[in-house]
Order: sequence, then structure tokens, then C-alpha cells
Amino acid sequence: MYLRMITASLVRRRSRMLVALLAVAVGATILSGLVTIYHDIPHQMGQEFRSYGANLILVPSGEETSLSGTDVKEAVSYFPSDSVVGVAPYRYQAVKINEQPFMAAGTDLAEVRKTSPYWFVNGQWPEEPGSILVGTAVADLIRLVPGSQLTITGNDANGKVFSRDFTLSGIVQTGGKEEEFIFMSMADLEDAMGDLDVIDVVECSISASGTQLNSYVQQIEASVPAVTPRLVKRVTESEGTVLTKLQALVYLVTVVVLLLTMICVATTMMAVVTERRKEIGLKKALGASNESVTKDFLGEGLILGAFGGLLGVGLGFIFAQTVSLNVFTRPISFRLSMIPVTILISILITGLACLLPVRSAVDVDPAIVLRGE
Amino acid sequence: MNLLELKEVSKIYGTLKALNNIDLSVPKGEWLAIMGPSGSGKTTMMNIVGCMDKPSNGSVILDGVDISKENPRSLTAIRRDKIGLIFQQFHLINYLTALENVMVAQYYHSLPDEKEAMQALERVGLAGRAKHLPSQLSGGEQQRVCIARALINYPMLILADEPTGNLDEANENIVLDIFRQLHREGSTIVVVTHDPEVAEEAERIVVLEHGKIARIEDNHRGEQEEG
Repeated sequence: MYLRMITASLVRRRSRMLVALLAVAVGATILSGLVTIYHDIPHQMGQEFRSYGANLILVPSGEETSLSGTDVKEAVSYFPSDSVVGVAPYRYQAVKINEQPFMAAGTDLAEVRKTSPYWFVNGQWPEEPGSILVGTAVADLIRLVPGSQLTITGNDANGKVFSRDFTLSGIVQTGGKEEEFIFMSMADLEDAMGDLDVIDVVECSISASGTQLNSYVQQIEASVPAVTPRLVKRVTESEGTVLTKLQALVYLVTVVVLLLTMICVATTMMAVVTERRKEIGLKKALGASNESVTKDFLGEGLILGAFGGLLGVGLGFIFAQTVSLNVFTRPISFRLSMIPVTILISILITGLACLLPVRSAVDVDPAIVLRGE
Repeated sequence: MNLLELKEVSKIYGTLKALNNIDLSVPKGEWLAIMGPSGSGKTTMMNIVGCMDKPSNGSVILDGVDISKENPRSLTAIRRDKIGLIFQQFHLINYLTALENVMVAQYYHSLPDEKEAMQALERVGLAGRAKHLPSQLSGGEQQRVCIARALINYPMLILADEPTGNLDEANENIVLDIFRQLHREGSTIVVVTHDPEVAEEAERIVVLEHGKIARIEDNHRGEQEEG
């Protein structure tokens, strides 16, 4: 009879209850949407931050002057493959162009495009062997333009002089030290130097939180002694600060929305109680105890909470997806855990919001049914 | 044996004496009518006898229990177990069907029994309207549902507040027929009414004026006793 009664109250008075259901559903939608965004911010923003360059570098340990490809491969294996945005090894070598000294860097140019997406290249990224990039400072100094031919000289690994002709594919503009470098493929530099498998530093761009990066650092330090991993604190710390502030903001908005929902539901339920004073008085006149009246109203409130929560899960995902697509231009994945979390929180919030109206319902005097109020 | 006894009962609101030193006994099985003009204390007396209010002074003994000394929780239990209430405005729950309205009283009393609730509706001639909502019933039908609800838990005392006040003559007769039948079966009925024709049906008429019993009329013996 209890279920029959509260179901009838909700179904046959649906126009009234729809208002309360909407209040709960709107709250649950924003709650579910914001919590989904809250949890997805590190992932979404992590992707954004990766456009600001490497956040972890690998350098040789102790007295060692270079890294081997095997050590680098082993160290990189500690990063989850889906978190790796790019890994660019660098080998530096002093060279000369027209007897002027410069620093050349051999690297994997395809990986550099991933680790340093902020580089602006006037011209083309090198695609053929013998094609190179130079920084703006170098190009200005020796008056190079994309397509220029140039000869680079230097001493190879055995101290013998080498001379190689290159075509300038593009000019790099970064606003940083990179503008003073010459960039070529690792194969071209190794060909000029006459030796293989020498890496001075590896720049890694990993999509992970500060805590996760620290854990990778510890694992590499413990397992690959030849490699010393270092966090690029400038990047990781600013990432952490921004993420913390963003999450705090979303958390605050969520709390405010929950409070507003609670006030809204409490007001609606209070109106429901006021409207149903005669019915409550009648139930009490028929012998309903205060506990029964409480149970009746809380039951209605909790069912509203459950249905509002369920509605909020679906609408919340649509809300989060819309925000994510518009703000981060990336889709968000549905979290199954949001179903019970949203429903439980909606039930809890509705239950709390019903406390005052229920108290008011319990205080209704059964004698009102005889007074004909 | 008296089912209900009021001894020196007064109810005072500030300086107003709504009931002033009332003494009244209602034997088991009696049909009693309470009459009086507005403000004479009829509703106050109904509230006290119906366990919805307590007197300021005096005692009210219902089935051997002094209800003026009971706490609100006990009064709720007494109201649930011993009293059947019938209202002028019917007070049916508008989102429940006629059958469910009867079952609500069972639910708060003990356990709902659909079959028994249906029998109660049959008794008041409304079996065919069991699945109708109050808004789909006429005033007379609503009052009969209210009576079925009042009777479903076999109360010792039926308290009716202007039971025919909102009905036309045809429906008034139907309701009075039900009351007559209940009386023949031995129910104790207290009816508050303005209608002399309804009051005439009772065995005794208590007339209240300014919170006091002005007189008691005995319909069977045609005697009149001054209050």
C-alpha cells in the first residue's frame, strides 16, 4: 500500500511533481556534468599542455657523456604507450658554416614535431636526407632562405674533418635558444660523424599528471642506472598549478549548484507540504503516526531524487560532452561510475532538502480537517 | 455501560471558554446528536472526543481510558484503533481511487486488505465506483466512501461532523439509511449537525450554547432535560 500510495501521489499529481523532478534533474545534470569534467580536466588539459613542449628529459647518469639507444628504449618503456605524445633524442655537435661556428643537433624530426608543436617553421619540415632546418638567428647571420644550399664542416668522431652539403628546408622560429641551432636528421649527423648510437639528451612529452610523472621518474631511476630522468619543472609545475585551480573552480561550482538544488527542492517540497496540509491532517486524523507521515513524504522525495538522478546522468553526460567539444575540442568518455554516484548524491540531496518540509508536515494539526480550513 | 464520559470538561483559549464545564455520558450503542449555533463549542467538543485536542480541565473517558491524560502518540493510536471519523467535506485523498482511500485507513491501522475494503464499499453501495478518483464521484458518493473508510477498522465510536451538510436530499437519505443500519448493528454514533431532521434520527440531542450544554432532548421518550 505504501508504494501504491506514493506512486499514485507521484503519477496522478504529475504536473506538481514534475516541477520537483525538474529541480532535482537540473541539479543532477549539472552535478554529473561537472564531476565528469572535473575528472576529465587533467586528461583534457594534459593534452593541451603538451603543446608547450617536453615535460621530462633523459640525460646520461654520472660521468657518462652520452646515452645509448638501448638505454633510452628501456627508459621510455616505463611510460604507458597511450600517454606518450613524443620522444625526441638529440645529439649535439659543434660545426662550421663558412668558417663560422654553430651548434648542430641531430634528432628525429618527426618526433620533434610532436614534442615541440609550438615551433614555427618558415618553409618546410625536412623530409628528404640532406635537408635541414636552421634557427632564425643562424639564417639571419649567414643570410639563408628556404631552398638555400649550404656546406657544413666539422670534425668527425675520429677527429678527421668532414664536409657535407645540405639544402635548407625551413627556418625555425621559437623565441628561444632553438633559433641558434641547426637541426638535421640523426642519420645525417651520424653519417657525417662516422659513428652511431650516441645520444646527448632525450626530450619526452608525456600526457600525465605531476604525480604520475614523478612515479615514472622513480621507476626509471631505480631500473635504468645509465639514464637520469628529470622533470621540466617549469612545465610540470605550471601544469599542476593550473589544473589544481581549474579543479578547485569546478569543485566550488559543483558545491554551489548542489546547494542551490537543495534550496530549490526544499522550496518545492515545502510548497507541496503547504498544498497538502489538509491531506496530511487527514492522514493523521486517520491514525497516521509522525513516522508514517515522515515515511510518506521522504519516500516521495527519495523516489524523485532517484529518478531526477537517473535523468541527470544522461543529461549530465550530454552537458559534459558539449562543454568538452566546445572548450577542449575533444570528446569525453562516459564514466559508468557516474550512474550510481549521481543517483546516490541526488537521493541524499533530496533527502536533506526534504527534512525541513517533512518536519513541517509532521507538525500539521489533524484537527484542521474538522475546522474545514 | 458508558463508552464515552465527559466530566467537567472545559477548553479555554486565552480568555475565551470554548467549552465550559461539560458533563456528558454516551452509552455503548447510542446515537447522539450535538447541535448548536456557530461558536457554541461543537467542533471543540469533536476535537476533544476525537483525540485531536485535549481539554484544559476535566477528564474524558473513552472505553475506560482517560484520554485527557494521554500523550500525542497514544492519542494517535486511540484515534486509529477506536474512532471512525466522517467529515462534512469528505476529505478524500484526491490522487487515490475510492478503494485506495478506504485502504489508506487500513494501512495506518494494520494491514491493507483489498477484498475487505471492497466489501466496505459494497456496503455503502459503491462497489461499481471502486476504481474512480474522488473527482469522478458525486458529493453523495464521496461521502459514502468517507463512511466506508470510517467503518473499515470496526471503530467503537463513529464521530460524524455535519455528515449531510454538503449533500442534496436524496444523498442525505442514503447516508442516513447507512447510519440507521449502523445503529441497528449496535454502533455508537456521535453526529454534529445543524440539520434538525438529521438530529431527529438520533436517540438524544445535546444542544450547546456558549460552550455549555443548554439542554438534552431525548427523542425516544420525548423528554427534555435542562443543562
